[in-house]
Amino acid sequence: MSVSGSETDSVASRRSKKPKYSKFTQQELPACKPLLTPGIVIGAFSLIGIVFIPIGLASLSASQDIVELIDRYDAECVSANDKVGFIQDTKTDKACTRKITVSNAMGMYVKSRNDKQLRSKDSGSMITNCEPEATSEDGAPIVPCGLIAWSLFNDTYSFSLNKKAVEVNKKNIAWDSDKTKKFGSDVFPENFQKGGLIGGAKLNEKLPLSEQEDLIVWMRTAALPTFRKLYGRIEADIMASDEITVVIQNNYNTYSFGGTKALVLSTTSWIGGRNNFIGVAYVAIGGICLLLAMGFVVLYVLKPRALGDPSYLSWNKENPDQSN
Amino acid sequence: MASERPLLISTTPGASTTDDGPSPHPPAASLLPPAQPEPPLRADRLAFSVEVPDPFRPSRRGDGPFDDPSAASQREREVGDDDSRGVVVGEPSPEFAGNAIRTAKYSVLTFLPRNIFEQFRRLSYVYFLVITVLNQLPQVAVFGRGASVLPLAFVLFVTAVKDAYEDFRRHRSDRQENNRLASVLAPGTAGDFQPKRWKHIRVGDVVRVASSETLPADMVLLATSDPTGVAHVQTVNLDGETNLKTRYAKQETQVRFSQNGGVGSILHCERPNRNIYGFQANLEIDGKRVSLGPSNIVLRGCELKNTTWAIGVVVYAGKETKVMLNSSGAPSKRSRLETQLNRETVILSIMLIGMCTTASVLAGIWLLNHRGVLEFTQFFREKDYTTGKNYNYYGVGMQIFITFLMAVIVYQVIIPISLYISMELVRLGQAYFMGADKDLYDESSRSKFQCRALNINEDLGQIRYVFSDKTGTLTENKMLFQCASIRGVDYSSSKDTGGYSVVVGDHLWTPKMAVKTDPQLVKLLRDSGKNEEAKLVLDFFLALAACNTIVPLVLDTRDQKQKLIDYQGESPDEQALAYAAASYGVVLVERTSGYIVIDVLGDRQSDRKRMSVIVGCPDRTIKLYVKGADSSIFGITNKASELDTIHATEAHLHKYSSLGLRTLVVGMRELSQSEFEEWQLAYENASTAVLGRGNLLRSVAANIECNIHILGATGIEDKLQDGVPEAIESLREADIKVWILTGDKQETAISIGYSCKLLTNDMMQIVINNNSKESCQRSLVEALATIKKLRAASSNGTLGPVLTSETSSVTIALIVDGNSLVYILETELQEELFKLATECAVVLCCRVAPLQKAGIVALIKNRTDDMTLAIGDGANDVSMIQMADVGVGISGQEGRQAVMASDFSMGQFRFLVPLLLVHGHWNYQRMSYMILYNFYKNATFVLVLFWYVLYTAFTLTTAITEWSSLLYTVLYTSLPTIVVGILDKDLSKATLLGYPKLYGSGQREEKYNLNLFVFNMLEALWQSLVVFYLPYFAYKRSTIDMSSLGDLWALAPVIVVNMQLAMDIIRWNWIIHAFVWGTIAATTICLFVIDSIWILPGYG
Repeated sequence: MSVSGSETDSVASRRSKKPKYSKFTQQELPACKPLLTPGIVIGAFSLIGIVFIPIGLASLSASQDIVELIDRYDAECVSANDKVGFIQDTKTDKACTRKITVSNAMGMYVKSRNDKQLRSKDSGSMITNCEPEATSEDGAPIVPCGLIAWSLFNDTYSFSLNKKAVEVNKKNIAWDSDKTKKFGSDVFPENFQKGGLIGGAKLNEKLPLSEQEDLIVWMRTAALPTFRKLYGRIEADIMASDEITVVIQNNYNTYSFGGTKALVLSTTSWIGGRNNFIGVAYVAIGGICLLLAMGFVVLYVLKPRALGDPSYLSWNKENPDQSN
Repeated sequence: MASERPLLISTTPGASTTDDGPSPHPPAASLLPPAQPEPPLRADRLAFSVEVPDPFRPSRRGDGPFDDPSAASQREREVGDDDSRGVVVGEPSPEFAGNAIRTAKYSVLTFLPRNIFEQFRRLSYVYFLVITVLNQLPQVAVFGRGASVLPLAFVLFVTAVKDAYEDFRRHRSDRQENNRLASVLAPGTAGDFQPKRWKHIRVGDVVRVASSETLPADMVLLATSDPTGVAHVQTVNLDGETNLKTRYAKQETQVRFSQNGGVGSILHCERPNRNIYGFQANLEIDGKRVSLGPSNIVLRGCELKNTTWAIGVVVYAGKETKVMLNSSGAPSKRSRLETQLNRETVILSIMLIGMCTTASVLAGIWLLNHRGVLEFTQFFREKDYTTGKNYNYYGVGMQIFITFLMAVIVYQVIIPISLYISMELVRLGQAYFMGADKDLYDESSRSKFQCRALNINEDLGQIRYVFSDKTGTLTENKMLFQCASIRGVDYSSSKDTGGYSVVVGDHLWTPKMAVKTDPQLVKLLRDSGKNEEAKLVLDFFLALAACNTIVPLVLDTRDQKQKLIDYQGESPDEQALAYAAASYGVVLVERTSGYIVIDVLGDRQSDRKRMSVIVGCPDRTIKLYVKGADSSIFGITNKASELDTIHATEAHLHKYSSLGLRTLVVGMRELSQSEFEEWQLAYENASTAVLGRGNLLRSVAANIECNIHILGATGIEDKLQDGVPEAIESLREADIKVWILTGDKQETAISIGYSCKLLTNDMMQIVINNNSKESCQRSLVEALATIKKLRAASSNGTLGPVLTSETSSVTIALIVDGNSLVYILETELQEELFKLATECAVVLCCRVAPLQKAGIVALIKNRTDDMTLAIGDGANDVSMIQMADVGVGISGQEGRQAVMASDFSMGQFRFLVPLLLVHGHWNYQRMSYMILYNFYKNATFVLVLFWYVLYTAFTLTTAITEWSSLLYTVLYTSLPTIVVGILDKDLSKATLLGYPKLYGSGQREEKYNLNLFVFNMLEALWQSLVVFYLPYFAYKRSTIDMSSLGDLWALAPVIVVNMQLAMDIIRWNWIIHAFVWGTIAATTICLFVIDSIWILPGYG
């Protein structure tokens, strides 16, 4: 059959519909196809093992080197039966010669603050999110507002090493960025802890917030119910048999919600605090990987299988129900 | 085997129009002016329309088994008054719908409410909305108000903009369509046609349409430029068929409108319906009732062709026109994967409720345990110390409830809403790559692969049944004349002769297609007149040229002197025969309703005739030409006298059909003048009879069609499309069953079955071809028994190993006839047929009506979980395409209708192989993986959040900032999975095409199932434990603050799930690299940025 008509012009105009050929449109972009060959699998597991075990051992030893003394003092520092009454009584002297930490329920607590207010004096009246500790009884805004600031930790400690008083450096315990960016140097506490129930420490109204480092540390809320807050640094050298005496002003009320407090004295290293978990985890994973690698080696030696053997394809296998 | 079909079907259209004495001259305004002023001789009195049943006529013209005479007589029954509308011709009536159309969905006012309503019909959006609303309650608010509204607002906005743009385009096209002009008869005048906008046309208006104009509404033809009332229309806009269809004006109206007096008659027609092939009405004119049928109506959207003008009365307008009633889109389909995904969503919902309940119950227990100290805990204290008001505490019961609601908000992402959006994006990407694939581009029709439905891409990977149309799908629907047997002599050799041209005036007219000719036959023809044999050969070709319904169109070419003759007709076989005759020098030059002009080897003859059979020749002889299927023609031959010829012809027929050719037998009978006159009288009586006209005409036809001389037979090749046998072979290897559903007769279907290698000689054929329900049942039961015996024989090893393997390899082919299906489908026999069909490797259904095709698809679809795909090209395939899980339209030369109804359209049948085996596999694998991965990644994150709740006195405080929580699904983890869902390939194209068995993974649902889902959830559980508890134990007693640990808990799952993705990716190209590593980097940057926004607690 031959078509003697000429349709070439219409052909030309519709040519553009033809898909343009490119490696992209044909899904033929150069690609690498990582095959999990026995060599690669065994190599990868061995490598993980070889890298992880030393890291784990190093972490473990660093963690082991850290000296950590924990002394829970909440129970021992209150002798009265009515612990809550004792702690709420502002007149009694709550000095206690011992030691720290707090646990409390969190919740809306985390959000009960206003970052704008903390930052600059222009926003002094910004009290959104601060409920229920937003305004004083006459309606004046509280600075710093909110439950977190309200519940500022107010136990104090004084240390003496071998009967000699030791200076605790309370400077630079907060993040630099918090001090410079988050807490304004022109914001001063207002109406703070003037309400019916005092939640915790009071603030020096003469000092700008950026210099109230205890507040800044406190405002960085902890993630977990058991947490530690930096109180200060003891810069004196403490020897092994040295005796540390701590005089605690046990002011902070953990009794009402059944929390506990403890004082932690710890040395520091690159790993942070004393915690063997990381080291153990690294060693364990590294060890498992090495074991798997060895297992694969054994399997590979005992039952080798050629890569890409078509007889393993499902329809090439001897299969009884393949007959229909 | 004898054909079940009635030997002859007399068709009424136009038959009654030509017997009113001498017709006027041929219309001067015809496109094709007679080359010679007056034909030398004209047999004036000849009018008969007997249409020889053409077994090859594709059933899409509506002549399936349902269209048999009984149905026709049913159609002729009077239109009852209850279900009809009365139209007064020439009087526009306002009671029916006007002609203005409106496809737009919204107006400016209704857009916002309606669009939002439409959008919220998607369940996922409602879920989104509920969560957002919950979050607005101050007691429950977990996220900031702005942050929580943002995602929903964004999705709604984008969708609304898209919808608005689409609707704007619809408005514009509506406006254009409504403001087109048509000439409408001014009421009360005679012949005063004035331009009127389409939207103002009403039912009852009389409209005049000129050649090449589009019809503004559905109209009953009243008169045309042709004196006999014939009009040709092109229905390409309606069903996409490009050939011309013939419509008739009734002679009664034709006469009156030619004399400008036709208004005032009353027309009763049926109510508007969507059947484009059916119409029944009657017209009361001068006290007479004239009945009207489908051949008297022209439909909106058609174009008038080859007719100078036509006048019609509008019966259906605007939204009641058949084209508008048919324009409702395909029913929306949902992919199998998406349905299964709903099951998993339910499981996840239960998990969500479980987690929320756990959290709230634990919170309740905590509250009860701490009942006494609640007043002093900062969060739960009952009184505001400064003001003394109750604060933030609602009692234990209420607190539990509030905790539950908050938990729903916090854990909402476990139901991955973003997954739906990701899936849509992935499908868009997949659709792009399918459309861009050069293997799916059809060079010959210049048609690209098109994804018309964007939500079932992955179904392409799970198909088990393919239902294919034959004509135009497996075959090209291009018939090629291959060989002829004339008076028992076979002329099969052929060579290219470059065609034959006719000189008309000073122009050279060439048929558009030249057929290879047999030189011996050409030589014989040139000597015609000299001997009897050559005369018969000439008669043979005359029969081919005359005995058809072809309309020759003359086309201009660039060369002034050259013109092309294009044969337009409804049957491709007739076209092939007409071109063949033309190549041998018997050129059909002109056809009007009154006469045809045939150029015989330069000697112009003009024969007066109607349709096909009886031709009055210039030499005053009257000849009856018959063509038809062998079975029908041999039955009416003069057996005794020409036994030899019949035997020889039968032998040739057998040879041709074994070559896969379609065969036709041509016969002739010379009539004497008296015989003719006797017949004509009978015919006129019959055609004017009021009752039983059809039966009378049929008997008249049968009376004269006897003692036929066999002239010969033709063999026409029904050309298979490229690569069809190979494609079917590949599909079979992939365990896809291919069924052919065709309107063709049984023999043709079987011959095509052989030529496309679906049927092979070693197959056992079971034929179900019965005329009653009882016999159908018997055959079905017998067939089932036979198969059972075969299976039993092959399974119990009594026959010995060799024989066993032989019998088990016997495949069974089932051939079902449409007549039998009438008794089987939708009766209790369906079940038997289903059992039988599933036992068979191949199923061929022949002579099936469009609705039966859908019935067969439903047979499988409703009884199995197997996915079905229907592929077809014509309007008759629409029902099956819409019924099947996946509908594929062939966008070839025939119709747009199938394409419009389809989910995917492409140019060739063979593209099914790359479409299913490659793209289908990829789509399925990618989509399955993406869904499972999304479940897993969101569950991991939610579980990390959940573990943290155990350490916050169950108050649903999150360590992870709210922005990170919202961005986790949107930004931190979404893009890589989308890119992987579009680009990753588990196997290369070459592998997938080389091993069709690989397709089975989709059929067996290996990539997405409940086990995999559970496995992924367990993986999420274990990984979330690691992600949460490693930092927890590492930082347990440290000075770390909440936002630092929160960032760690946000970053860790992002890295873990992206590493999981990285391990699952099979092929890494640079785009995937960029997105996976880029996302981890972007997450880190995001966390830094979020922490540096000083409003957020993580600031520092």
